[in-house]
Amino acid sequence: MIGQDIRSAYTATIGIECHVQLKTQTKLFSGANNDAREAAPNTLVNHIDFGLPGALPVLNQAAVALACKAALALNTEPQRFSKFDRKHYFYPDLPMGYQITQFDEPIILGGYIDIAVDGETKRIGITRAHLEADAGKSTHPAGANYSLVDLNRAGTPLLEIVSEPVMHSAAEAKAYAHELYLRMRYADVSEANLYYGNMRFDVNVSVSKTNELGTRTETKNLNSFRSIERAVEYEIARQIELLEQGDPIVQETRGWDDNALKTFSQRSKEDAHDYRYMPDPDIPPVLLSDEYVAEIAANMNELPDDFRAKFANIGLDAQTTEDVLADPQIARLVGLVYDDAGAEHAKRVAFWTMQPHSNDSQGNSQLQSENGVKPKEVDEASQVKNLIALSKMVSANQLSSTAAKEVLADMLQSGDAPQSIAEAKNLLQVSDEGAIRAIVQAVLAANPRAVDDVRAGEMKAIGFLVGQVMKESRGKANPALATDLIKQELSL
Amino acid sequence: MSQLSRDDVLKLASLARLSLGDDEVEQYQKELSSILAYVEQLSTVDTEGLAPTNQVTGLTNVMRDDQVQSYGYEPRDLLNNVPMTEKNQLKVKRMIG
Repeated sequence: MIGQDIRSAYTATIGIECHVQLKTQTKLFSGANNDAREAAPNTLVNHIDFGLPGALPVLNQAAVALACKAALALNTEPQRFSKFDRKHYFYPDLPMGYQITQFDEPIILGGYIDIAVDGETKRIGITRAHLEADAGKSTHPAGANYSLVDLNRAGTPLLEIVSEPVMHSAAEAKAYAHELYLRMRYADVSEANLYYGNMRFDVNVSVSKTNELGTRTETKNLNSFRSIERAVEYEIARQIELLEQGDPIVQETRGWDDNALKTFSQRSKEDAHDYRYMPDPDIPPVLLSDEYVAEIAANMNELPDDFRAKFANIGLDAQTTEDVLADPQIARLVGLVYDDAGAEHAKRVAFWTMQPHSNDSQGNSQLQSENGVKPKEVDEASQVKNLIALSKMVSANQLSSTAAKEVLADMLQSGDAPQSIAEAKNLLQVSDEGAIRAIVQAVLAANPRAVDDVRAGEMKAIGFLVGQVMKESRGKANPALATDLIKQELSL
Repeated sequence: MSQLSRDDVLKLASLARLSLGDDEVEQYQKELSSILAYVEQLSTVDTEGLAPTNQVTGLTNVMRDDQVQSYGYEPRDLLNNVPMTEKNQLKVKRMIG
């Protein structure tokens, strides 16, 4: 292992390419169903995906619209002119012998996203993002001398987002990937399910002691934030170690072994690819009007930054804000509660939803886990109404906070109004003075020592008596009222 | 562009996944060179200020709605045209070790 002093003499530089699978019904250039997750091999294919001679690919307008949304989510606008090119290479999972992609006139140029690392905000520039068709999926049966290819995924629309090489630590790389993920999810560009590979990250890492960039390696196909962080960490250490030994860095593509927690060499770039890009004559250029872009902008969802601003007004701390943001549905609910009922209730609802997150061993909690409280998919408006009503019951001392959580769980499942759930479960706090006074009198009679203590000025004992009243009332007594009544009975 | 070298032709052949015999390399050196020379006449035209021609159709925005389409056959019929299949997948030379 290299020491911290040696390590700090080097600057690491990191750029990230991310393939985002777009949320379309059909493929980028054919009308085949795009949802290949559970489909049997080669059932979502046609002559276009198979690249048969004479097949004419036709661009999916939904993919263009989603790329426009992505542009706005990256703080820029889509290019008004973009075109498609053929990138030639032979591989069995690429039936056409070329990939249709965008080379020199991509649909997105520029843009940025802000990330927060250790409380510091840093702006990460986006170089470009282009539309392209995915390849098929190959498997390699153990022991066999052949591979098998399933073309269901061939032609799936991808948006490849390329960052500027301006990140300098594993933590920044992870934060960038996570923020990109949130934005694509909130903008509804992608299902953004990392388990299904809806977002795949390639990290380019180099280290240098000078202002000149070192030789970089590209570690491909990372699909969790934790693996991005670890792979970058590993590459930085590996490269510094090589340089310290006087060995050169080989420019190459590497893979990540999630079990061994190591990167490994996949292929060197010595046989530098010669893709022979050419404009694709099958796909006419895409021209976007200002009106078209304006209409998409007008229909954009609220983005994470919009919610962050809102949640700051509510008074949520940064960590709670990010926890709420982990689930767009919950973030929307909290936002809507704020819009309709103000900060007090929004804050309470936010904390209700912050049951402990389930953390899996990969540390993917922020990606894939659900919050402990999961609202039903139905009728957001009535969920909001119920949440506000429930919070108001707590404010009015009609429900204890423990009872409120019990009502909440039921309410989110059933969609029933909180009042009726609380009544059915017999959870409403009793503010009927007569009923509580009777309990208070019984408690005082049964606890003469505590009563003496209180009379002797030992005010702590009041807490004990209130607790007894709560217990006798099975939690339904309004504690403030109980305290008042105890004081009255003892003439304090 | 003058004469294509032997290495140029071998590189092109390898990119196109073709294996060429020595006599073929020589043949293509000549033939490809003369094709290039012919096309090269275009470079004498003054294109100052002209946008590159990416498309000759003059079309733009040819797009389709995002709706699943049936093309009049079963997807798996496509496998009938594939030289080798196994378990409804395309069987190919092993790609990785």
